[in-house]
Amino acid sequence: MTGVRHLYAHLPFCSSRCGYCAFVVETGGLDRRDAYLDAVIAELDAQEQKLGELDTVYLGGGTPSLMRARRIGRLLESIHPGLAADAEVSMEINPETVDHAALRAFRAAGVTRASIGVQSFQPHLLAALDRGASAEQARAAVECAQDAGFESVSIDLLFGVPGQTPADLEADIAVVRELSPEHVSWYELEIKPGTALERIGTLPPDEDASAEAYRRVVDVLEDAGYRWYETANFARPGFECRHSLGYWHAHDYLGIGVGAVSTVEGRRWRNASGVDAYVAAAGQPSQTNEDLDEDLRRRERWMLALRLEEPIDIARLGEPDHPENFDLLRTHGLLDDEPLALSREGRFVQNSVLHRLMEYA
Amino acid sequence: MNSVNQEHIRNFCIIAHIDHGKSTLADRILQLTNTVDEREMREQVLDSMDLERERGITIKAQAVRVLYTAYDGQQYQLNLIDTPGHVDFSYEVSRSLAACEGALLVVDASQGIEAQTLANTYLALEADLELIPVLNKIDLPAAEPELHARAIAELVGEDPASVLKISAKTGVGIEEVLESIVTFVPPPTGDAEAPTRALIFDSVYDQYRGVVVFVRVVDGALDGKVNLRAMQTGLTFDAEELGVMTPEMVPTGSLKTGESGYIVTGLKDLGELRVGDTLTLSSNQAEEALPGYREVKPMVFCGLFPVDGDDYPALRDALEKLSLNDASLVWEPETSQALGFGFRCGFLGLLHMDIVRERLEREYDLDLLATTPNVQYQVTTTRGDMKPVTSPGDLPAPTEIEFIEEPYVRCTILVPKDYVGAVMGLCQDRRGVYVGMEAIEQRQQISYDLPLAEVVLDFFDQLKSRTRGYASLDYELAGFRESPLVKLDVLLAGEPVDALSMIVHRELAYARGKHLVERLRETIPRQMFEVPIQAAIGGKIIARETVKAKRKDVLAKCYGGDVSRKRKLLERQKEGKKKRMKHVGSVEVPQEAFLAVLEFGDDGNSDK
Repeated sequence: MTGVRHLYAHLPFCSSRCGYCAFVVETGGLDRRDAYLDAVIAELDAQEQKLGELDTVYLGGGTPSLMRARRIGRLLESIHPGLAADAEVSMEINPETVDHAALRAFRAAGVTRASIGVQSFQPHLLAALDRGASAEQARAAVECAQDAGFESVSIDLLFGVPGQTPADLEADIAVVRELSPEHVSWYELEIKPGTALERIGTLPPDEDASAEAYRRVVDVLEDAGYRWYETANFARPGFECRHSLGYWHAHDYLGIGVGAVSTVEGRRWRNASGVDAYVAAAGQPSQTNEDLDEDLRRRERWMLALRLEEPIDIARLGEPDHPENFDLLRTHGLLDDEPLALSREGRFVQNSVLHRLMEYA
Repeated sequence: MNSVNQEHIRNFCIIAHIDHGKSTLADRILQLTNTVDEREMREQVLDSMDLERERGITIKAQAVRVLYTAYDGQQYQLNLIDTPGHVDFSYEVSRSLAACEGALLVVDASQGIEAQTLANTYLALEADLELIPVLNKIDLPAAEPELHARAIAELVGEDPASVLKISAKTGVGIEEVLESIVTFVPPPTGDAEAPTRALIFDSVYDQYRGVVVFVRVVDGALDGKVNLRAMQTGLTFDAEELGVMTPEMVPTGSLKTGESGYIVTGLKDLGELRVGDTLTLSSNQAEEALPGYREVKPMVFCGLFPVDGDDYPALRDALEKLSLNDASLVWEPETSQALGFGFRCGFLGLLHMDIVRERLEREYDLDLLATTPNVQYQVTTTRGDMKPVTSPGDLPAPTEIEFIEEPYVRCTILVPKDYVGAVMGLCQDRRGVYVGMEAIEQRQQISYDLPLAEVVLDFFDQLKSRTRGYASLDYELAGFRESPLVKLDVLLAGEPVDALSMIVHRELAYARGKHLVERLRETIPRQMFEVPIQAAIGGKIIARETVKAKRKDVLAKCYGGDVSRKRKLLERQKEGKKKRMKHVGSVEVPQEAFLAVLEFGDDGNSDK
């Protein structure tokens, strides 16, 4: 079977914009959800010939859970040729938008993997991030999802949040251990241009403090039986996110919806942002294109591959620009052999390692 | 611009310490003689390089012709040959002096005589110039014209009453200056009938016109597009254009006996024509060249390396072009294990080094790394031969060295009496040998013999800061002396970094090594592994610091929508590193680290 096997759909509606958010989102305007969905399905139809049988679908946002289950069902049914029997269908969920019934409905509509945007279980940190959910709602959403029959439940968390003390981090760790989801994504907060956090002059945390937080997260989750399979992602064995692995393995993927990015056969394009224009374009949104030559692709493959725990497969990635530096990395204990892979220490400084192996110019 | 008879020509220059108002006086003369009209008048017209204007100093000699109708009703042609005021450029001064018959000795009426005033006055007296003493800035509240007039008069052996008191700023007394030039400076004495001899006193490279030389016609004349011969090198070429500076270049078609002006040669390489050479007519050659200049010897050497190795050819081109305008800059290729391909360059002094580097970066858009400045050592080996060494890397192994000699300079420092102790303390710290002391007016002239290596580091800055800016310094070479010198090496991650090595006095080595590794630890950012920094003498570690390893360096998130953005972020990181960082072995070293070697301040010496 040929054709693209990974589909991303961007569902941009949100009730409000969070303090750290720089994504393409649409606050309010929920009355346009059906029109938007029509346009997404139109785009899907227009791109249909690119698709093979899908291995994974990822519904991201925005707040996809605001779309309600009937629209998600309609979207999934509109995919042709269709999903593989064991396809993974992930959806991002904001805790305050769902209850037990809603989660069951999503599951029934075909979602197999619930990714719950918790960020923290500490009330003062949720406030600092302008999150809509309370700590209780966050915990309840995870528990309901675990009850709703998904094959896998994942939660998103942040470290490096302004005001987050080591004790706060430990408190979040304790809740995660107790809830014990199949998958955890634990990111360092990035203060991006254009976000509310940036506007109020939030400073990034001290380099040492954030390094200690990161290492603590990795240590604890590994200790609790999770695989640190990607820079910021942890899973019980067999519960890795297959859709994300598709990106990290540099597979082709089709992205539909406002601001979505696709990479197919050496060409990458990004749909314009703006829900109104997207709806008006009725499946033919305006796009910006980027041609990727083999050299760029090779550099991207390395950039993505070093994020992973799995061995470095030079045959697949292509030669690095500076193979002579492998020895330097070995000398300093950053690279292991048999199989060739970043060591644990190497993974903590993978960006430095990457610059030693590859030229980005 | 019309010529005048030879007896109505006056060639003169202005000798002054920095900031004593030389350029302002020159501007005022141009204005008073209507050479530059009011609209064009900007401050310091003669200082044409941006750098000169910014730093308020003159680097290149320049010649400007003005016409002046004197009180006797005659029109005189005055050729003002500008001179640099900094000790680094004293050789340029002597070149200018050789093209003149007189000099204005300008002294600030509030500051009095400074070290350079003395040095340049002696140069002018040696060159047999008629000296006209001038006290400038008499309008300043702090001016003490009577006091300083007596000192100047004593210096040049004249009556204090004859010292002109002016203010170049307000214009007071400028006419008297011009009248004095006309009255006291003798006209040029050359023979108009003899075969032509013209002294090249400066040259510049113009990218459109090629090499332009500035000449003083001593005998005979230059007329039209004649074929010329440089008497020392034997090179012949056609004069494409003759003219004078007003200060813009104005073609005149001829230059007569005693006149100064320019010749456009169309030559592409300034090296072909030497400053100090004599030009004559190919068709009617003079028999003997004019006395030339003593060859300028560079005193300070350092390696210049492009931050980006790809810029090596561009650096070579830039040095070639810069040499066209700066005969005193010498350079040859050098390879450093740490820094790759570059050039070892020789300079007249630290200011000269600074200026060259700044011009390379500014005018040629290069990012450069400069290694520690060095003087030229003389190493006598156990085999008995003598080897000049300008780079620590060229120092033979200790077992092959019989002894090392280093250049000394005699420093003359003029300072108010209150600061004598501070100056002597500094000189002692810098291995100075006391020579003598003498009172001049309210001040003391202190003489010390100091190793040049100690002077070229940050001696002048230290002198200024310890005397609140009151001290002035002049120095001249005073021979070589044997010293217990050792090579101090720096090791990063166990590897010696040649570009950070230096030659130091044995007794100062420990303190400098310690200071240096501390500065390097502060400058070198964390890397993906721990970086030990060590200072060593002959393999023995004398100081050590460590840059701790990074604990985290990851890009937070990367999914399908972020791939291009993250890749571009890597490209920007790479670009940033390329600009700021140099790979030295396995360590990424920022440019500032190479400057750390230059800063010793007080601690490098006093806590020995």
